[in-house]
Order: sequence, then structure tokens, then C-alpha cells
Amino acid sequence: MSRFLGVVLILLIFSISCSNKEVEQLEVHVPHGITVPEDMVYIPSGKFTMGHPDKLRTKKGREVLADAFLIDRFEVTREKFKTFKLEYIFHPKKAQFPVSMVTYAEARDYCRWKGRQLPTEVQWEKAARGTDGRKWPWRNYYEHPNNGFSGFIPEAVDQRKEWISPYGIYGMGHNVWEWISDWYYYDGIPETDRNRFKVIRGGLTQTHTMVKFTPTYFRNKMEPTAYFNFIGFRCACSIKCQ
Amino acid sequence: MKILSQKLNRRFFLRLFSLSAITAILPQRVFGLSDYRRDKNIPKQYIQNRDSPGFFIRSANPFMGVNSNDWSLSIRGMVENPIVLKYEDLFGFKIVSQISRLKCVECWSASAQWEGFHFQELIKRVKPDSEAKYVYFQSADSYYESYTLEELIRPRVLMVWRMNGQPLSKDHGFPLRLIAPYKYGYKNVKYITSIEFSDSRKRNYWANHGPYSIDGTIQPGIDHPLDFNKKPLPINGGEVFHSFDERPS
Repeated sequence: MSRFLGVVLILLIFSISCSNKEVEQLEVHVPHGITVPEDMVYIPSGKFTMGHPDKLRTKKGREVLADAFLIDRFEVTREKFKTFKLEYIFHPKKAQFPVSMVTYAEARDYCRWKGRQLPTEVQWEKAARGTDGRKWPWRNYYEHPNNGFSGFIPEAVDQRKEWISPYGIYGMGHNVWEWISDWYYYDGIPETDRNRFKVIRGGLTQTHTMVKFTPTYFRNKMEPTAYFNFIGFRCACSIKCQ
Repeated sequence: MKILSQKLNRRFFLRLFSLSAITAILPQRVFGLSDYRRDKNIPKQYIQNRDSPGFFIRSANPFMGVNSNDWSLSIRGMVENPIVLKYEDLFGFKIVSQISRLKCVECWSASAQWEGFHFQELIKRVKPDSEAKYVYFQSADSYYESYTLEELIRPRVLMVWRMNGQPLSKDHGFPLRLIAPYKYGYKNVKYITSIEFSDSRKRNYWANHGPYSIDGTIQPGIDHPLDFNKKPLPINGGEVFHSFDERPS
């Protein structure tokens, strides 16, 4: 019996040590005179690598300059969304889950109501991958526990500290996809598809029974009137918005 | 009653397990059952899984299909006017036609022209209570599916009784099926026999028997369309469109 308990204890210690994966953070100094709200993160100005050379509908790995900005640390929760849309109903146990089933216009209006905007693609991608060119926000690939093919299982927005971005932002490679303010565009896009879809970023792409993480440069698109259980949002703003 | 009165000790469970194990290895014929679900030799005339070119057939519970003379559709539950429809009654609803793609959880998809009527037509007839937020479907093959009412009144959701210009074939759900293009195929219930409105959600067949969710909304991923030689194509999630599909205006 004592041997059995010993094995269980070793396995427990092993599993705990394996789950304590800390994400390497970029050092950021907030300039004097800038107040960062508690629920936001300051992203300094500077260049970063955007897109991937093999993905022709991205920025193909080019250096892109982004001004400093602020972005929500978490996806907007159901509880917070209700403060904006009073008739919105959610299960009390899921108050901290990301709001979903919202159209682009509803997401945009919420951010405006907060004095913010939906992030641009440049803002979102820089916040997700930082300046060291990460494929996933947390740098290393880990298997995802959401292994039900047809099932999308969202979770509370502050659940996954092991999957934060280099700036400490949650949910940029899992949980819901997020509405982005930009229209979906790439060189050579058919005329009929211009100004037709909004970009969504940062959810999971599923293929059959496997779940693969979506890299930070992966671009998805969605008609702005669509609303699904897998789409939510977060807000951003310039450093002058507060 | 005797079993219930027994003490639920270790010996009881061992006996129970032994009995289950014996029944599992004995042919089902011994017990006079004709459950073809696990039988590799399903009679040819049964509706069953077939990889037919262009549009695969999937059937959770193989059976002979529906005879229109015997079929009826009961619409009941939390409604003001419960009704029972016969096959000819389906012709009385305003017909809507659409081309949409059915996307299976097995990673393939296939497109067809579907004709039928909007779920709102049924709502007008039966007048659900304001608390009735959920709808439960049952099929002639003992399949069952669950939706929210809101999901069923979306514009491209159809109650279908014609496919590609013909009445639905037995394989595709004769006489009536649901087409909800933004849901995986298993949500698109076939051979519907009853529709029940309620104020609480029931589970669906695959949530009880497999790894598939009750919701079943198509997630962003990769599709292998049968009408494009299974060439893998990305999908955005929701209703599936490919470059060769015509999007609805």
C-alpha cells in the first residue's frame, strides 16, 4: 500500500511540476504620465514581426511599426457585457466566461461605450506575439485539453496563466475568437470580397479529432453580422484614451 | 424487487458483472433481439452508412425507412395548438429553396439544393408559450436532437422534404428532415416524427453516445468537400462556404 501511495505521490508531483509552465515575459516600462487602467496592459511602441513568410494572406513576416497602445488583459466577460446591455442573460456560474454570440457592431459599440475601440490587427498581433516573433503567445507548443471534435468548450477568461502572451495578456491563442476592427484584406483579394468580412483572431482551429493551436499570425474572417458561440472580443485604445 | 432488496455488496456487483459479460458474448439472436446497430451484416435494404459518391449516407440506427402512409408528425409540448401532420400536409407550407452544404464531423462536406419551409411556419400554427425556449426532435429511427428555438428561426434553417428537385430519398431522411447549415451534420436530424417545445434543454443522441456536443456549431477548421475531390479547404466556422460555392445574397 505504501509503495502504491508513493507512486501516486510521485505522479502528483510530476503532474503539478509539468503544469507550472511560466511564460517568459517581455520587460515593459510604462512612461511617466501614462495611467494604465487595472484591466488593461500597456504595449510600448516599436517594430515587431507580423505574419509569416509562408502565409501569403498575412504580412509575410515583415517588420511592422506599432504605436504604443493599451489593450484589455482579458476577453470581455459575460458579466461585464451585461453592464452595457442590460437585457443580456447569462448563467451565473459562467459570469467570468467570455461573452459570445455578439455581432461585430455589438462588440464595437461596447468598446465605444467604454471609451475604447476594437483592436486593429497590428495591435492584436503585437500584443499576442511580442517582439520576439512567437508562433504561439506562450512560445512553446502544448497539447490542448479540448479534445472533443465538435465541442467548443470556453472557460473563464483568467483561467490559463500558462498561456498568457509575452505582455501578460490572457486568451490570445484559445478560448473565443475575437472581433478585430479591420476589414479582411490581402493582396489580390477578389473585388467581391472587399469590405465584406471582418478579421477575427486568436481562437482555435479544429481538424477532425485533433485540436491544433492557431498561431499568432493566423487570420480568420467572418461576416460582421454573424454571431457564434466561438466569437467574442476585447477592447483596446491609444495611450491618450484614458 | 428481490434484487433491490439485496445488499449492494461486492459479491452482488461481481454477479451483476458476470451476467453482463455473458450477455455481451452471446449472440443477440439468443434473446430474440434484432438490434442491427452493432451487426456488420446489416440487411442491404436498411438505411445505413454508405460512402455514396457525391454525398455520403450516415445513419446512427439502421432501419427500413419510413412509409409515407404510416408517417405522421406530432408537434406538441408547451404550445397553444398541438397538431399532427400527415405527409400531404407538408405541401401546404410556403416552399423555400436554398443551396447549402452539409458538413459532417467526419471532416467531409457535400452540397445540395434543399426545398422545404421555415420553422416559423410551424411556430405560427402551434403558437408556443413564451417560456418555450427549446425544441426537441425525435426520429423514426430512435434518433433525437435538441435545439434552442432561436437557432431554428435563423434565415437559412429549413424543414426539408425535397432534395435536388426530388422528394427526399429514404437515405436522406424521407419524408422530413432538418437542414441547419451552420451546424454539423449530426444536428440535421432526419425522418422527423415529433417536435416538442419545452422550457428546458434535453440532451441529444450524440451527446449521450459519443464525443459530440449538444450545440454542434461548426468550428473554424479544415474541410474535405466531396464535390472537390476531398481537397482540404479551410473553413471559417459557422455555415461552410468554399470558393466554388455561391454565397446567398
